[in-house]
Amino acid sequence: MATTVTEPALRRIGRLERIWAEPRGVLGWLTTTDHKRIGLLYLFTSLAFFGAGGIEALLMRTQLSEPNAKVLSPETYDQLMTMHGVTMIFLFVIPMTTGAFGNYLVPLMIGARDMAFPRMNALSYWLFLASGLFMYASVFMHSAPNAGWFDYVPLALKEFNPGHNIDFYALGLIFNGIASTATAINLIVTTFKLRAPGMSMNRMPLFCFAILAVSLSLIFALPSLTIDLVFLELQRNLGFHFFDVANGGDPLLWQHLFWLFGHPEVYIIILPAFGIATSIIPTFSKRKMIAFPLVALAELLVAFIGFGVWAHHMFATGLSTITLVFFSAASMMVVIPSTIQVFAWTVTVALGRPEFKAPLLFIGAFITFFVLGGLTGIMFAAIPFDQATTDTYFVVAHFHFIIFGAAVFPILGGFFYWFPKVTGRMYHEGAAVVAFWLTALGTALTFFPMHILGLLGMPRRVYTYPSSLGWGAYNLSETIGAFILTAGLLLIVGNLVWSRFRGVTAPPDPWHGGTLEWATSSPPPPYNFPVIPVVRSAYPNWDREDREADAGRLERGELVLDEGHETSTTTVVDAVPAEVVEMPGESLWPLVVALCTGLLFVMLLTRHYAVAGIFAALTLLAVGAWHLKEPEEL
Amino acid sequence: MSAVARSEQPPLARPNGWWGMAIFVATEATLFGTIIGTYFYLRFNNLHWPPPGVPEPKLTLPLLLTGILVATSVPMQFAASAAAKGRLSAARAALLLAVVVQAGYLGMQLHLFVHDVHEFPPSGSAYSSAYFTMLGGHDLHVGLGILLNLWLLLRTSTGLTTYRMNAIRATTFYWHFINILALCVVGTQISPRA
Repeated sequence: MATTVTEPALRRIGRLERIWAEPRGVLGWLTTTDHKRIGLLYLFTSLAFFGAGGIEALLMRTQLSEPNAKVLSPETYDQLMTMHGVTMIFLFVIPMTTGAFGNYLVPLMIGARDMAFPRMNALSYWLFLASGLFMYASVFMHSAPNAGWFDYVPLALKEFNPGHNIDFYALGLIFNGIASTATAINLIVTTFKLRAPGMSMNRMPLFCFAILAVSLSLIFALPSLTIDLVFLELQRNLGFHFFDVANGGDPLLWQHLFWLFGHPEVYIIILPAFGIATSIIPTFSKRKMIAFPLVALAELLVAFIGFGVWAHHMFATGLSTITLVFFSAASMMVVIPSTIQVFAWTVTVALGRPEFKAPLLFIGAFITFFVLGGLTGIMFAAIPFDQATTDTYFVVAHFHFIIFGAAVFPILGGFFYWFPKVTGRMYHEGAAVVAFWLTALGTALTFFPMHILGLLGMPRRVYTYPSSLGWGAYNLSETIGAFILTAGLLLIVGNLVWSRFRGVTAPPDPWHGGTLEWATSSPPPPYNFPVIPVVRSAYPNWDREDREADAGRLERGELVLDEGHETSTTTVVDAVPAEVVEMPGESLWPLVVALCTGLLFVMLLTRHYAVAGIFAALTLLAVGAWHLKEPEEL
Repeated sequence: MSAVARSEQPPLARPNGWWGMAIFVATEATLFGTIIGTYFYLRFNNLHWPPPGVPEPKLTLPLLLTGILVATSVPMQFAASAAAKGRLSAARAALLLAVVVQAGYLGMQLHLFVHDVHEFPPSGSAYSSAYFTMLGGHDLHVGLGILLNLWLLLRTSTGLTTYRMNAIRATTFYWHFINILALCVVGTQISPRA
């Protein structure tokens, strides 16, 4: 930042170092409220679940590689298939995008020193970890959820599924939903209130817009899943009637409530990918995103339309024609904001001076896969086509192009893009390009033949198929593709681990990025910025004069906030400075609360309701103890 | 939540804690929207609602109780504005009045709930399942609100801070929501009589 750092500036930085220091060692990690450390915890935890979900996928692909294979029993296959879906969606993509990327990057991009509610941020992480461990305990007890990630009734009802399998699913996802809701509230208030002075809404980075859209979607989508799961548990364990016709219930009620959550969920998965793309593209094209306000609005519009299309998952369930037509038309509408964004991404690259380093290559593959998956998506919006291909591998092909090709490739590109910022080291570019081609070709080889298999009539969710149908060759190529893809992913991990220790030292801004995370050192200090930046455009790091003005303020001691554990808040729309707020620091209570909540869910699972009540009371007491320490007393 | 005003001027923006509560209320409202939506979805799937053998919902007592609960929005709002002006004892008195009425309401509600469970248990039909889930869900939220008020009374016994003032403001917001919700719930509850 500053070219010459003077004595008073150094003294101020020293004070900030002392104020924001956290305990060392394991205790530091258990009590941390630093959004960057919590982001890293989220990163490693969700990567571990990604590994588990990946192993489940490879086992399934091995079973399907030839007709009549006997690698997995049908029961095991059902459990692996369900856990693969649940893991990838709830334990990998959401925590990875909101928890890891959102947590680490949003405060840095908006020039804040932490999230709006630092201790609740820690609570979100511990709840997420506990809910993941809770669900994975089922795998070791051989009673993992087995009715698909969509968990349709009546299959999921007690009569047909008497074990604990579905209870693990229902309670685990209610538990997980609490963590996601807390994260979403935190991210919304952070983007509303903690933006740097001058960063009015129209200057907020597009990545933050995407995270805001995701968080709003979570806030309004998760309740219908939660309620659906509560109904299911009440019916399974206390004899309520919501889903059985004999007593006035309706099995379709489950599907309506599930997809009322489930479709916004698809956009919750894909929107952070849009956000990452809009971060990487301008940097490597060396120009601002074209149509910036339109792209921001398109991100919010995708999230909004996502709430009006749920019944297109139910075209084959016998809904009335008028309902089908409405949802078909609404689904077609998603094309408009999606096309705006594809246009903006490609034209920004075309008008810029693109430099095809690994992050931009991943974004290129992302756009390709998104267009391919999007085109089959439009086909499904057409009712007759959907009714002909529903429950076939064509659907599996479509949604894997979207939620693997389009959602995960920007995450991989983002790993490389922000690796220098997080670690202070450069990754190995050559190995990254090789890994890119392995993963991209592996993805195409794994998922493209599924279109053909679907059109040939291969149903989804089957554990094997007879040899007489001639599906063996396609399935074998998919399995080979899956292993190539895995090799590419392992090469990425290897590259990043090696570079973490052996890579070249990275400067604060190796790519000449436009957003504020590149304005601070690599890795950022615990207080993020020595001085709160003042912003006048959407790409503040390209405004050299403003950043030099920041350095001047550090000299004079303006907006340094070195009198306490503080950050500044601004007004919601115009980002006029409002006040300086004291931020809470490290605390062990979030972990204790998560532990009590975890035990509460274990007791609900084992139906010890009285003991569950005790843990509910302990949870409340721990929440009270947490709030005994008020920020101004720290 | 953690706002400490450094200057003498009134803050330009609402505190973070208020925003946190507003978004929490948004997700809670969606939750109850889903429950009430389910109630009507099931109603229109059934010929008889309530089913034969289940009494029609009572009218007078639920409406009266709801009216009493909704009235506690007045002392809650009074507590928030008194706290904002630094009038601690007035704020605490209003909180105490509100929490006594709210606890009385919850006691009566639970009594009626248990009575109804004996008369038409939730395992009897989709009607009673939706009925008890909706009422139980609301009672749970009233209970949480009472705990919040008791907590505020406990914490303000040692004085008022900006942090606690913001907490009173956020809790008042939560109670306004619970009270509006009570109107929606009771409206749904008595809807078969319409």
